Amino acid sequence: MSENAASKPSPRSVALYALAGALALFELATLWAALNPTAPEAYRAYFIDKTTTCLNLPKPGTYALGSTVSFRSDGAALARDLRVCGWEGPAGDGTHSVGETSRLRFAVPPGVGDLRLTLELAAVLTEGQADQLVEVSANGVAVGRAEMNDRDAHVFELVIPAAALASDPGFVNIALDFPRAIRMAPGDNDTRKRAVKLLSARLAPA
Amino acid sequence: MAQAAFRFPCGGNSHTYKDLSAFVKTCEGMEAMHSETLARAKTKLGSPRGRWWRGQGRTSVDSRAKTLRPVSSGRILAVLGMPAVFLVLGLALRYLAYASVDPQATLARFPDALCLWDCRWYVGLAENGYDPFPSPGMVNAGNWAFFPLFPVLVGLLRLAIPAPTILVATGASLVLAYGAVLAAWPLLRDLRAYLLYAAFVLCGPFSIYFSTFYTEVLFVLLATAGFVALQQRNYLLAALCGALLSATRIVGVFFVLAILAQAFLDHRARGGRVLDFVPAVLRRADLVLAIFLAPLGLFLYMAFLHWHIGDALAFSHVQRAWAREVGNPLLYLWRGLTRFPAEGFVPTVSQQLALAAVTGLALTAILFWRRRVPAALFSLVCILVPLAAGLASMVRFMVAQPPLVLQLVELLGRSRIAIVLALAGFLVADYYFTIAWLGGYLTLV
Repeated sequence: MSENAASKPSPRSVALYALAGALALFELATLWAALNPTAPEAYRAYFIDKTTTCLNLPKPGTYALGSTVSFRSDGAALARDLRVCGWEGPAGDGTHSVGETSRLRFAVPPGVGDLRLTLELAAVLTEGQADQLVEVSANGVAVGRAEMNDRDAHVFELVIPAAALASDPGFVNIALDFPRAIRMAPGDNDTRKRAVKLLSARLAPA
Repeated sequence: MAQAAFRFPCGGNSHTYKDLSAFVKTCEGMEAMHSETLARAKTKLGSPRGRWWRGQGRTSVDSRAKTLRPVSSGRILAVLGMPAVFLVLGLALRYLAYASVDPQATLARFPDALCLWDCRWYVGLAENGYDPFPSPGMVNAGNWAFFPLFPVLVGLLRLAIPAPTILVATGASLVLAYGAVLAAWPLLRDLRAYLLYAAFVLCGPFSIYFSTFYTEVLFVLLATAGFVALQQRNYLLAALCGALLSATRIVGVFFVLAILAQAFLDHRARGGRVLDFVPAVLRRADLVLAIFLAPLGLFLYMAFLHWHIGDALAFSHVQRAWAREVGNPLLYLWRGLTRFPAEGFVPTVSQQLALAAVTGLALTAILFWRRRVPAALFSLVCILVPLAAGLASMVRFMVAQPPLVLQLVELLGRSRIAIVLALAGFLVADYYFTIAWLGGYLTLV
């Protein structure tokens, strides 16, 4: 065999190299896509950037203004449409918050004025965490705080100004932030932190 | 890395052939061909580099030729028949277990009754495809963590077979499980170890994974086929198995490491220097293609996810919805081992899962010790990667690692007493583990 013939790649080798090159390009392009996700903002915040423990889903928020919705087992059907994220259960004693933020969404009639939000909450406490703080906002506007230092159920009433509803007409998006949420076991993920149990919620004209 | 040349006597003359298939082809055309030599060579074709699985590096043709034996019809019957018997036995045992816990048990409901946990996700996936975002159920977790190959296969079978999805999937799993056992024969080539392996997969304590709608069965089949292809130094076929593996479970993508390890061992066995390895690989078109082909399944799935929901890594990111966080695997292992029971001596679920991982690591160490580097490397990564997300499902992940289980049965197969005890244990455990599975025993999830 001459030197030229020996060094010249066979047509099969050329085809294999070409195929390998095409695969390499495809895989590089896919890696580039992986580094440049185009997913919606809520998805990015929860899954990719991990800036929230609460995946903000577009729940319908079906709700009759002025009614009290139970977040115990007996009210699960009504509560389902209001629970956006950051909740688990209901268990016998209420729906448990999970993570550092929990959200509720209420559909309200257009043109409604100031509203009064009533939340019945009980704190989740451990030996190392003697109190819980809940910072409440409506459509991104801070409306108040709730603080508890025992495990009893407490009722909190907060006023939501009509101006706060302007950013999302027809809906009241309630965010409950738990700056003192606790990990129940070492190594628990931040999405498993506990802070409160929600027993009932009500939204009515102020 | 040039193809090795084989020198065999053919028709009374000695010839050098580029590969054994060329030798057989030539010899078959020669009237003077000695029938025994041809039979030996054909046997050799199933394992052209000798008993790779036994940890040998490259051996001389002469020494390898000593191991060549014609395959007897009795042996073929045993290889085909034993798994068939265990397949039926396993089905019977699991049905009896199911019937013992469900007074209304029927054959028709049997496949559905065994379909628990992830199986439900796979049924939904086969029927409805991947979730968009937001998912239809308005829950955090979409079904993106579940890799596509097996659900797609079942989805296609559904088009041809008008039966409930779980029935189609169960049938497919049983066929694949039988195939996975058969595929392991070239790696074992020992009837006693093979007997144990067949029993373990088809009627052992964890046979439930291989007989309902879980991807483990396809993973085992493809990984086994991949190692057989590597044994035969068919890098492209091994890479094809790797590509399918990487579309079956995320850890399948690491089969490329086994391919590279085998290529490296071959390179060294030929006297190649470590520094020359990369240039040597680049000179081999089949190896270069194999390296890019092996992870193709994962990349195709990633491309699909990017198109479908805008996140190519959704299969990984969605783990957050199950509160799984990537962390130090050794730390997860330590936490599991030290999560002692509040009372009594029965290990907690965490301890049981951690012990499964420790067993896997111990078997991996044996693989390394016996210089089965490609299998050991693949197994090690397949343990550490899921372990980095916690201990969940660790038992399932361990028993679906063919190199580990093959190593185990090979060790057990050395002793007749161990074989008898293991066989009896497998059969009894199949029954009771099925009951535990139906009862939602978390260690098995």
